Amino acid sequence: MTAIAGRRRPLTSAATRRGPWVTHLLLLLGGIAWLYPFAWTLGSSLKSTDEFFGRGLNPLPGSPLWSNYAEAWQGASFGAYFLNTVFITVATVVITLLVTATAGYVLARTHFPGKALVLVVVAATVFLPHGYTIIPIFDIMRGLGLLNSLWSIIIVQASGGVVFGTFLFMGYFRAIDRSLEDAARVDGANFHQIFWRIMLPLSGPMLATVGLFTAISAWNSFFIPLVFTLARPELRTLGVGMYAFIGENSTDWTLLCAGSVITLAPIIAIFLVLQRFFINGLAGAVKQ
Amino acid sequence: MADTELVLLGSRRARQGRRSPLRRRIAGARWSYVYVLPMLVLLAAFVVYPIIASLGYTFYRWDGIGDPTEFVGLDNFLKVMKDFIFWKALRNTFLYVVIVVPLQLVIALALALVLNNPRLRLRNLYRTLFFLPVVTSAAVIAVVVQLLFSNFGDVVNDVLMSLGITNTYIDWLGDPTFAMIIIMGVGVWHTLGYNLVYFLAGLQTIPGELYEAAKLDGAGAIASFRYITVPMLRSVGVVILLLSIIGSFQIFDLVQVLTNGGPYFATEVVNTYIYHLAFGGASSTAVQPDVGLASAASFFYGLLLIVFAVVQAVFLRTLVSRRGGRA
Repeated sequence: MTAIAGRRRPLTSAATRRGPWVTHLLLLLGGIAWLYPFAWTLGSSLKSTDEFFGRGLNPLPGSPLWSNYAEAWQGASFGAYFLNTVFITVATVVITLLVTATAGYVLARTHFPGKALVLVVVAATVFLPHGYTIIPIFDIMRGLGLLNSLWSIIIVQASGGVVFGTFLFMGYFRAIDRSLEDAARVDGANFHQIFWRIMLPLSGPMLATVGLFTAISAWNSFFIPLVFTLARPELRTLGVGMYAFIGENSTDWTLLCAGSVITLAPIIAIFLVLQRFFINGLAGAVKQ
Repeated sequence: MADTELVLLGSRRARQGRRSPLRRRIAGARWSYVYVLPMLVLLAAFVVYPIIASLGYTFYRWDGIGDPTEFVGLDNFLKVMKDFIFWKALRNTFLYVVIVVPLQLVIALALALVLNNPRLRLRNLYRTLFFLPVVTSAAVIAVVVQLLFSNFGDVVNDVLMSLGITNTYIDWLGDPTFAMIIIMGVGVWHTLGYNLVYFLAGLQTIPGELYEAAKLDGAGAIASFRYITVPMLRSVGVVILLLSIIGSFQIFDLVQVLTNGGPYFATEVVNTYIYHLAFGGASSTAVQPDVGLASAASFFYGLLLIVFAVVQAVFLRTLVSRRGGRA
């Protein structure tokens, strides 16, 4: 036993000395290749049309042409699409957090007749076959008179995420120590004060997790804004705007690259700042 | 002392509350109902009701304007089942799933095994690097790929021609085979990060002592993988596999923007097929929008997926329990 260990030790230490460098080299090369499409887009957004074809796959522009961004922002109305997308994303996140945090709280910490039924119904919707439901949703929005505003997109987008968020908040609130609530009640706090002043401020990590998931899915949403803006170009989001632009002006490649950067950069930045919450949230979903 | 008294008092009150008549209990919990109501309203109006309503449309021929009036019974289902484009779209979707899912899972698992080493420096940086495409919009990625291929295509064509492999320029996204391969490749690239994070989470549930014990017993890396990692990862692995399959069956954005199902339906998947039925749109199909037909196709696809999911679940369960029993 000791003889084997003795013979092995130099071998493994040699391997660990050489191993990491090979691993790092492969990972780094792989990672660069993996992110190459982003680098190419960023570089090409600063190229002139001649450079775009002349430089081919070289991501670096000869002399950065910043006017592409000004043109994309105003000429191709990506500025308006950007504001639409920001508004939709912020409103969807706020609505989703309010609706799912309150529902998650009462389902986790209070008792009321019919609670079991609510839980069963909510869980069942996950397993229902989600068919082609956009037409009835469209009809409801027409009935509510919301077809001419971004609110139709916001409400539909928020509805899609309520089950997921409610379950996450439920799990989180269930784990919070009950004595905190009891102490507040003894001090005379009412139902609302306990939720808004004590429980909600304690749920920071979950607010970040649900908020980030919601923000990413709202920002990247394509199908819902596509259908709701088919007849209203001024309500387009960035994704839909790019899709329409590529159909109409298929020659302005560099403007499309600038538009891509305007679409991709904000959500990548938000993700990089808050990635801990996103990745932990995903990991938690599989572990259970 | 005082604390326990208060808790006792609280629980006694709770018990009394539970015994009181239903009406008083409902009145006492009125704020709970107010807090849960917004969630239920959104769910009922925009998730549950539309599912039921769209079932009704399947019996009508309807262009989506005004109210459906032309009742056609089960005609829509028959029409869908007789439509060769539907079957082509279904075949394309299955082909996409069958190729993308295993490819993605193998790469993700290999990468996860490398990144799971706690002594590897910068592992979180690498994880972020490979995860990044996940947070980007599939529609915009499709635009980027289209732009990239307007250049890449020429470069590769030049190389191929100078080597004498081909003597004609290949229109990559206009070629049925290459268009599908490109969609699959981008699909693997775009969602690999999910599986990477899932596998890393799964690997972290395996206690390190198991590997140390195996090492003491003289097990090498391959033996540890075969006898510890694989069996310990099996239950998480099944969940990852199912999530990956479910996600892949829903492919829409990428195909819609990249090829619109073309050329000649070579990359049409079921979700783009349904979209084209409901909204016309595709220049190549140029059909009259028919919401009834689209709803029928969607419902039929939903049923197929449920049947497929049940078969899968049963199959995977027997696989897991049989192997688990042996180990």
